[in-house]
Amino acid sequence: MSKQFSRRDFLKLAGVGAATTAILTGCGPASRLVRREPYLQMPEYTYNGLSTYYATTCRECAAGCGLVVRTSQGRAIKAEGNANNPLNLGKTCARGQATLQGLYNPNRVRGAIKHKRGDRLYDTAADPFNDEFPDAASNMDWDAATQVVAESLKNNKPEEIAFLMGMAPDHLFDLATDLANATGITAPVRFGALSMFESRATLNKAAQNLFGQSGLPFFDVGGAQVVFSFGANFLETWLSPVSYTRGFSALREGKTKLRGTFVQFEARMSSTAGKADEWVALRPGTEAMVALAIGRLAAESLGITTPKVFADVDPMDAASKSGIKLETLEHLAQMFANSNGALAIPGGAALGQSNGLAVAEAVLALNALAGNFGKPGGVFFSALAPNQTAYQQPASAQEMADFVQKMIDGKIKVLFVHGVNPVFELPAALNFMGATKSVSQIISFATFPDETAVEADYIFPDHHGLESWGYQRVATGSKESVLSGAQPVVTPFYDTRATADVLIAAAQLAGGKFASALPFKDEVEFLQSKIAPLMSESNGFFEAADINTFAAFFQQYGGWWKTIDGRNVPNGANALNRSISAAESKFAGDGKFFLVPFVSPTLAEAGANKPWLQELPDPTTTVMWNTWVEINPATADEMGLADNDVVQITSDAGVLELPVYRYPAIRPDTIAIPFGQGHTAYGRYAEKRGANPTDLIGQNYNEAGDLAFAGMKVKVEKTGRKQALSRLESLMGVYGVGLGEEH
Amino acid sequence: MIRPEEIKLSADQSGKWGMVIDQDICTGCQACVAACAMENNISFVGEADSGYGRSMHWIRIERFWEGEYPEIKMTPNQPMLCQQCGSATCEPVCPAFATVHSQAEQLNVQVYNRCVGTRYCANNCPYQVRSFNWRDYKRPEPLPNQFNPDVTVRRRGIMEKCTFCIQRIHKAQDKAKSEAREVLDGEFTTACAQACPADAIVFGRVDDPESLVSQLAHRNHGVKHLEELGTLPNVTYFKGG
Amino acid sequence: MAEYTDAVHANVVHEHKDHAKEHLREKHLMLDPLPRGKMNEMVMESMTTTSWKFWVVFGILSAIVAGCLFYVWGYMISEGLGVTGKNRPSYWGLFLVNTVFWIGISHAGTFISAILRVFKAEFRRPFTRAAELMTTFGLVQAGFSVFMHLGRVWLAYWLIPYPNQRMLWPNTHSPLTWDLLAITTYLLSSTMYLFLPLIPDLAMARDRSTGWRKTFYKILALGFRGTEGEWTHLRNAMTIFAFAIIPVMFSVHTIVSWDFAAATRPGWNSTIFGPYFVVGALHSGMGAVVMVLAIVRGTMKNMKYFIRGEHFDAIAKLMLIISMAWAYFFFNDYMVQWYGGDKWTHQLLHFHEAGPMGWMWFAMLIFNIAIPWAVLWNQKWRSTPWIVFAVGLLINVGMYLERYIIVPVSLSINRMPFTWRLYYPRVEILLGIGTLALFIWLYMAASRLIPLIPVWEVEEGQMAHELKKFGRETVVSVSELE
Repeated sequence: MSKQFSRRDFLKLAGVGAATTAILTGCGPASRLVRREPYLQMPEYTYNGLSTYYATTCRECAAGCGLVVRTSQGRAIKAEGNANNPLNLGKTCARGQATLQGLYNPNRVRGAIKHKRGDRLYDTAADPFNDEFPDAASNMDWDAATQVVAESLKNNKPEEIAFLMGMAPDHLFDLATDLANATGITAPVRFGALSMFESRATLNKAAQNLFGQSGLPFFDVGGAQVVFSFGANFLETWLSPVSYTRGFSALREGKTKLRGTFVQFEARMSSTAGKADEWVALRPGTEAMVALAIGRLAAESLGITTPKVFADVDPMDAASKSGIKLETLEHLAQMFANSNGALAIPGGAALGQSNGLAVAEAVLALNALAGNFGKPGGVFFSALAPNQTAYQQPASAQEMADFVQKMIDGKIKVLFVHGVNPVFELPAALNFMGATKSVSQIISFATFPDETAVEADYIFPDHHGLESWGYQRVATGSKESVLSGAQPVVTPFYDTRATADVLIAAAQLAGGKFASALPFKDEVEFLQSKIAPLMSESNGFFEAADINTFAAFFQQYGGWWKTIDGRNVPNGANALNRSISAAESKFAGDGKFFLVPFVSPTLAEAGANKPWLQELPDPTTTVMWNTWVEINPATADEMGLADNDVVQITSDAGVLELPVYRYPAIRPDTIAIPFGQGHTAYGRYAEKRGANPTDLIGQNYNEAGDLAFAGMKVKVEKTGRKQALSRLESLMGVYGVGLGEEH
Repeated sequence: MIRPEEIKLSADQSGKWGMVIDQDICTGCQACVAACAMENNISFVGEADSGYGRSMHWIRIERFWEGEYPEIKMTPNQPMLCQQCGSATCEPVCPAFATVHSQAEQLNVQVYNRCVGTRYCANNCPYQVRSFNWRDYKRPEPLPNQFNPDVTVRRRGIMEKCTFCIQRIHKAQDKAKSEAREVLDGEFTTACAQACPADAIVFGRVDDPESLVSQLAHRNHGVKHLEELGTLPNVTYFKGG
Repeated sequence: MAEYTDAVHANVVHEHKDHAKEHLREKHLMLDPLPRGKMNEMVMESMTTTSWKFWVVFGILSAIVAGCLFYVWGYMISEGLGVTGKNRPSYWGLFLVNTVFWIGISHAGTFISAILRVFKAEFRRPFTRAAELMTTFGLVQAGFSVFMHLGRVWLAYWLIPYPNQRMLWPNTHSPLTWDLLAITTYLLSSTMYLFLPLIPDLAMARDRSTGWRKTFYKILALGFRGTEGEWTHLRNAMTIFAFAIIPVMFSVHTIVSWDFAAATRPGWNSTIFGPYFVVGALHSGMGAVVMVLAIVRGTMKNMKYFIRGEHFDAIAKLMLIISMAWAYFFFNDYMVQWYGGDKWTHQLLHFHEAGPMGWMWFAMLIFNIAIPWAVLWNQKWRSTPWIVFAVGLLINVGMYLERYIIVPVSLSINRMPFTWRLYYPRVEILLGIGTLALFIWLYMAASRLIPLIPVWEVEEGQMAHELKKFGRETVVSVSELE
């Protein structure tokens, strides 16, 4: 028996076993909150030394992985993956693990605050490692806060009220959408730096162009035999890293097949590329050309007529322009053509260029050549979440620029911000900061004192994710259609209030169409109204006849999902019969170096305030607590740059000063900077640490409206200063620095 | 050259709990590092100290480079943690018996309240996986609410290291005992293995030939680190690739 | 029965009798006798004549001890060892360097007073006391340094085997436990061995002082009156101790070396570390003895009579021989480790020479080998106190570097290249200065309280030596008194 028992099956079983015995249903369907009690007055369901487990959803990124949080005496102790949730099957990434450091962060907004724009929300002088409480005190109560929201709703024209929300399509987004639909308020806009760096809009647009259908493609890495990834950092932050990592694991494990091969095409070896069998360091901007050339060579290798889409490209030319040897291209093309299940993934910096759409289309066309649509190891459309009718794409940078323009033009009088930190996440060139001056009232619902909260007039803090109700639609990553449910695992630590509750109360207070738009007692009632339709759906993970039981199961299992494959098969019939431009992308600026900004795999856009995430070494450089710029050692030698030398990087859009990391796996004509640090607020662990590479990115977009964040050329100059980077690795042991000459 | 009595010794000390780490699928994502820190109340030390080799990670992911650009490769990520040696070099050198071999679990245990901080064990650990509390690293309120009540919080001057989540072992054993049964394979696992999105870490009983971890460990290409020192480590690595 | 000591034998001169006699008298303390009373007076005078300069230096040292040693140590205890420069992988740093260094210093005292006594080397007589004091005070610094090293020094008593309810004992497998026992044994036995020959001098001082000094010496002299029986017992005790303490001396540094040699580390687990450390200890110890003697001779009253060029000459010869022995062991250690071919050891040896601390390795060889060999072959230079002082100082620097290379530099390299890291000492430097200041402070205090010259031993030697004429030759003869 054990011979056929794989570790995957084993862990699935183990996880299910553990979860079913342990997870409790909150405090029963009727209860609205978990209580935190002193040891002396223990609630009757709590025993000393015994833990209570609650299933909820991870809010650290928009993927929507299920969590099971262990609590003891009403305190959350540890977050683990929810083994039932088909998206992450009991697994978590580092950011999910550190979610408790957000819950218990020493810098959180502790109550409703009326605030002068620009004023600090906590004491800057504080030593990050001392015990003081330097946060700004709450200066208004929640009744007054609700009144403020109600008045802004009532006293402004609906079209002058706007909601800017986080990337995740969650219950609050639904609530705001309902409110908007019923009252004529501007439809809420969702944005996140991750969606910008993932180039989601480009992926969606390319799929639409090729397959005639909108949706977020799903790449079945696990089932493939050969995976070509053009810039998609799917093992780090891209779309749904936990589920893609599981796919990668299956690709490599090869239980029923050979160990799969993985090739990554990008100018800088990301930690995803570090796991590749071959890393192809092509010249930035030539991705489309290379993808098409591989397609042409692969078609030739298969002995079929070259499809139209690949016909125009000259492999020789592609080889010389991209800096890849023709033999390498031929060998890769043969590998792709002759494999028993080839898959090509476009993503990340490859799409964040002026010709990003062409890159995405060219790479998707490779899949058409491989004929893998709808097959194991192929391309699908992600399953739509339950209670969702179409893919809800977050705003592209172009749409954000339009939004900013609306602000500047005075078309937005009241701005509600929730779950996103545009001042930090949007490139400075898009001028969100400047635009706030034209908005008469900004209300932030930030849990943490982030940069956008600093620019707000009011801060009405939402609970932390682990203190809140809700659900989150899973956009991609699982075969099944998944709605991840969230419930409070602890009672709120501070005088915060669920934004949904605030909006419902304010709408009631505002009366009229607002009150009728949100006719709910509270957030929980709203949630139940939203999940009630699921009771009648078939193939659910659980079924229940009445809403209370259904909601209780929804809490207990951490959401609702179907047990059948809900993915759609793209129609690739015409994918090969179109033409895609193989032209190189255009770069802004006249510097010598291509700039590759990438999202820090450990911090991502919102992890910087969690001290343990700061202390996690970056997977590729092992740097902790700071930002660095990666430069090829040969280039660094030419410029006389040693490790830790501070350089000045100048682009059309801005200037940054950063210490050098001599990174051996980057093209000599390219530099790379991680995104995630450089906060000017956001708590003691984030503030004044590192720099934000979006400051270097100008307003350039690709055809799909995504930011051409990798389309900049920059100048690099030595400053003569030094700043030591904290590395886990040894410079002596890994790079031989300071060991004396070689034997 | 191995003498027969040494082979006997190895068999006796082969250990109870063990781990298998597949470097071919480890993506270096640091989820295990974070999970370990969250589970075991490990302090963070800040930028200056972490850059000076004082970070407290109980598990670290090592990677090296092979070749030069453009023919450069990242070596397979190598999670390094206490190997729970059957014949551990850290144990005999402690003058205070603060690092000892537990008879019941066959693990190297660190007795925090017995440690006087000579740091001899850390010097003598060929894997360099012990971390020392150089200071009382502060966790401002309310961060201490997160403390795992099953794991001692360490103060300055104390050596600490990976315990194979012994608190989880004990919980599982207690539960099994109360239900009058043996601990089942896979009933629980360590924090790192539980988090690992790639399932690169598998934990279990190595003395049970039926367990998943023993079966994996006996796949022919597993290696144990610095085995030539005779430390009898209980963590098996697959280099893969 | 007459016999020649080596030292005197070497200096037999062929000259005219009076000239020769005068010359020998000038050169050799043993041939230049003074009445016992006179010598006693001189020693008492040297002890009680204290200039203002002494108090200035003493005051500065007190401030350094209070500031660098006690204040900084208190700060370190309250903050944790984070204020030092230790890290992973250099878990041990300057504190253990200092420990080994001070234990090394302490070896000279025993070597001079025990081994030279056992071998009846006559030149030892005036400075056995000065050397023994170094042993005891050096060990005090070693003890301080070891305790500083502990992460939780307030629990240091757990390392002592004392009966307790939980039956928790120190781990006898640990070289650190052996070390603690060895150092304690050595400290106790060397203190006793310091005290025994001191008794007659304390009695002498008791008889020549008044006031608090009288009380002080009265208590310490244990009622010694100088009867034949007392002398016999004292002599027996000293002989027994002299023989017994030699193996203790050898064992203590051997065991210190086992702290390293018994570890599983490249560069450390070398079988020759025991004798290598002992010779190294003597090397630095001898250097320290000449430095102390030169300072004592230069600063204390009447000392030029007792401590002469011949003494520096004799010790310098020993230094030269020990330097050769050290070079031999160094080569042996290096050769075998290099030949072993272990890649980590190779890496470490390469790191010693070519790494960022490579200058230390070369400085060590120059100070420990090249300079003693280049200077100490010349008798005239050997007899010049400041030259020997300078050589002794350099040898001590060299030996300190040797220990630095063995402890933190070797710790920087291990079998896990991912963790290699250099060590930069921080408050350890202040604490090291503090121990040095305390050593000098104790020595200065002792020089005011304890007769630094064992008068009875000098007198005994002088009585045993006489110049005899065999024909035209003037010959030194020594009779066996003991």
